[in-house]
Formats: sequence, structure tokens, C-alpha cells
Amino acid sequence: MSGIFEYNGGSIVGMKGKNCIALACDRRFGQQMQTITMNFQKVFKMQDNILLALGGLATDIQTFHALMEYKLNLYNLKENRKMKPSTFANLVASSLYERRFSPFFVSPIVAGLEEGKPVLATYDSIGCTSDLDNFQVGGTASDQQNINFILPSIYGACESFFKPDLSPEELEEVLAQALVSGCDRDAASGWGGLVYVMTEKNITIKFLKTKQT
Amino acid sequence: MSRRYDQKTTTFTPDGRLKQVEYALEAINKTGSAIGVLTQEGMILCTEKQEVSHLLEQQKHSEKIYELDKHIFSVVSGLAADANQLIDYAREAAQKYRLVYQENIPLEQLIIRICDIKQYYTQHGGQRPYGTAFLFAGYDKDNGFQLFSTDPSGNYAGWKATAIGQNNLAANSFLKQEYKEDLTLDQGLNVAIKALVKTMDTSSPQPSKIEIVLISKADKNVKSKTLTEAEVLALLKANGFNNEAQQE
Repeated sequence: MSGIFEYNGGSIVGMKGKNCIALACDRRFGQQMQTITMNFQKVFKMQDNILLALGGLATDIQTFHALMEYKLNLYNLKENRKMKPSTFANLVASSLYERRFSPFFVSPIVAGLEEGKPVLATYDSIGCTSDLDNFQVGGTASDQQNINFILPSIYGACESFFKPDLSPEELEEVLAQALVSGCDRDAASGWGGLVYVMTEKNITIKFLKTKQT
Repeated sequence: MSRRYDQKTTTFTPDGRLKQVEYALEAINKTGSAIGVLTQEGMILCTEKQEVSHLLEQQKHSEKIYELDKHIFSVVSGLAADANQLIDYAREAAQKYRLVYQENIPLEQLIIRICDIKQYYTQHGGQRPYGTAFLFAGYDKDNGFQLFSTDPSGNYAGWKATAIGQNNLAANSFLKQEYKEDLTLDQGLNVAIKALVKTMDTSSPQPSKIEIVLISKADKNVKSKTLTEAEVLALLKANGFNNEAQQE
């Protein structure tokens, strides 16, 4: 696995439902073929209605998350209000572009609920926003970067299982299946998974068992 | 004293004073006062707003009491525009610290950063000093609850209870007598409001002119509560003021 995006491994996926949204991630943190820990955090709760998932280089995952916390906190203090998910999605894009010539090696996915409607956005490492699809993926078990291989990908699983207007329970099941099937086939992702389902009321977290390899 | 020594901030007078700093203090002592009280259970910050006209739009957030980070609050006395600059700077400094250390900035560290800026303008550039004095109240896990005051010279001091701004001498002597180390938050609140009313000309202040914030700890988090106008009125009445109150 060459390439800076594959160095630490890891996969993330997000999907919209009916007035709900879900994000799933694996738990592996490795250095090429060696697994270091199986409890590495890749999904961060930025606000009650905003989740940020980050795939890619682990050090940039942590630093970029800290940078988003910094900017979000200052926004809250100066403007004296919470940030809307769509605003946060734009903040992520501009923050990535700020490092246009020395980028963060991350594949972010922003998931949120704005006035009950799900907001889902994904980016390349320099801030190109894609927010029109009903599901988005990032990381090594997706279809990015691995141009030399045709890997079974989470995208394929999503396409098969996705239906519009899924309920939170159905969404959780679909996303869990998609993540597990993608990660089990990917050497660089796995060692457990987490599905975060966000509704107006709360965020539930479910732990998934994947192949432990 | 000789007027020759009061134009440039960067000049001492023959008797060792910085006139511009003293003049800044004069400006601050013309504005509404601010009182801070530290108790075992938490802290009280209260202040008097100046002109409260019917025509002023109600602001959603406080005019004089600012949150600098989740664990630090401050009250301003003096020039509001000067204060805004320093508040913005303080907020950035607190977040920068958090970015580097992933921890709350210790209160004294934040104050030092602000005071260094204030001091700069007493020594360089020929620009006037900031016409603001702050009271900072906050919590960090090494030192617990702390109360600090700062002045235009860049000096700061830690207090158990203090007053700045208009008539602060009267309030400070009241606090010296009435403050006890073992006050509860409620008792501290009564002491603070009495001290604040001491700085005013009237014993029936309008509740709309008074802002009060209570800072305490719940589990690991610092929480703050801003009193509503009704709660301020109830507090005033409970302490013997406003017995024929006019509501704004």
C-alpha cells in the first residue's frame, strides 16, 4: 500500500435517511501492514447536530479536528450562536483550501441535521465539496486512490442496499452492512466499526464486529 | 504636576508617574462599575450598564459581561471599543492554547497575555494605552476558582472580592468589611449586589441597568447563569432596595 492516504488505513461512510443521518467508521489505526490500535477515533461530534468523520493520514485527522474545534469555538463566542451544519460544511471546505499547496491528507465527511433535513458533504483533500449524493465514502475501502486494484468497495455495498427515506433503525442496519462488507475485504481497514445515527432527538452509537484481521 | 510630561505615553514624570495611564484610569472611573466576588461554591460577577434608553435595541447577549472560553468570563469597565479588541484577542489566545495543548488555558496565563498587550502601549509606539479595566473570573483544575483584575498599566492582581469603575473606593471598603471566606454562592450574591448599589447614586436601581452572572461547577464543567431582569429585581428587593420599584 503506497501513498500517504493509505499509510494509516481506515474507512468512513455516510448516508442520508428520512429526517436522520448516519456515519460509520472503522477503528483501525495502523502503519502500513502493522496494526497499532483498534480504538482510534475517526468520528467527532462537533455539535449536537453536526458530526465530522475523517479518513486519511491519522496525524492530520487529529490536527484537522483540533483546528475545526478552534474555529467552531471562536464562531460560537463571537457570533453568540450555534453553527448551522451547512455553514460548518463550508468552513471545512475553506479550511482545507487554506492549505491548498500543503494540504491536510484527510478525506472528510460532514453529517448534520438542519431544521430536520439531513446534510451530507464530502471533500477531497483540498476542499472540493460534493454534497448532492445520498451517501458518501472516504478512506481506503472506498474506491479512491487505489488505482492499481479493483477493490470491492463500500460504494458498491451502499448502491445495493440504499433506499430513499430509510428510518433510523433501517439506516443503521444498511450502513453497518456496507461498512463491514467493505472493511472485511480491505486489509487496511477494520478491527471493529462504529455506526453513529443522528436524529432530531439524539445520536446513538453502535459498535460493529468486523473480521479481526 | 507639570503638563510637559503628560502628552507622550512613553515618558515618566519627574516623580515617577505615567500620566497617560493615570488619565486612562480617570476614564474608567467614569463608567459603570463592576464587582467580582469569589466563594467556595463559585463566583459572582455583576455590573451596572450606563445609559439604558427605551430607544436602544435589546441585545441578545450581554453588553459588559463576556465569555472568553467555556471556563472564563470577564466584565469590562471603561471604553467598550477598546475592550472589544482585547476580548477578541483573548478569545483567540484561549483557543490557540487549546489547539496546542488540548487543555483549558489557565486563567492567569490568559491574563498575562492580555496584560502584556496593555503594557506594550505604555512603553512603545506613542499610542495611547487601552482605556479598559477588566475583572476576570474563571476556573482551572490546578487553582480552582480565581478572580483577577487588570488595569491600563498592564498590572493585574488576584482577589477574593473587588470592585472597579465608578465609586470603586466605596464598594471596595464595603467588601473589605462584609466579605467572609466561607460565604455560600447565595450569600456572596447578596454581598455583591449590596456593593454594586453602593457605587450607584440611588438605592432603587433599575433592574434593567444591572447584569449579574453566576459561575459555578457541575461535575467537570464550568456552568454560568445570567440572572433575568425579574431575578435581579427579586434580589434587589430581598436586600432591601427597590421597595417601590419601577419596572422598565
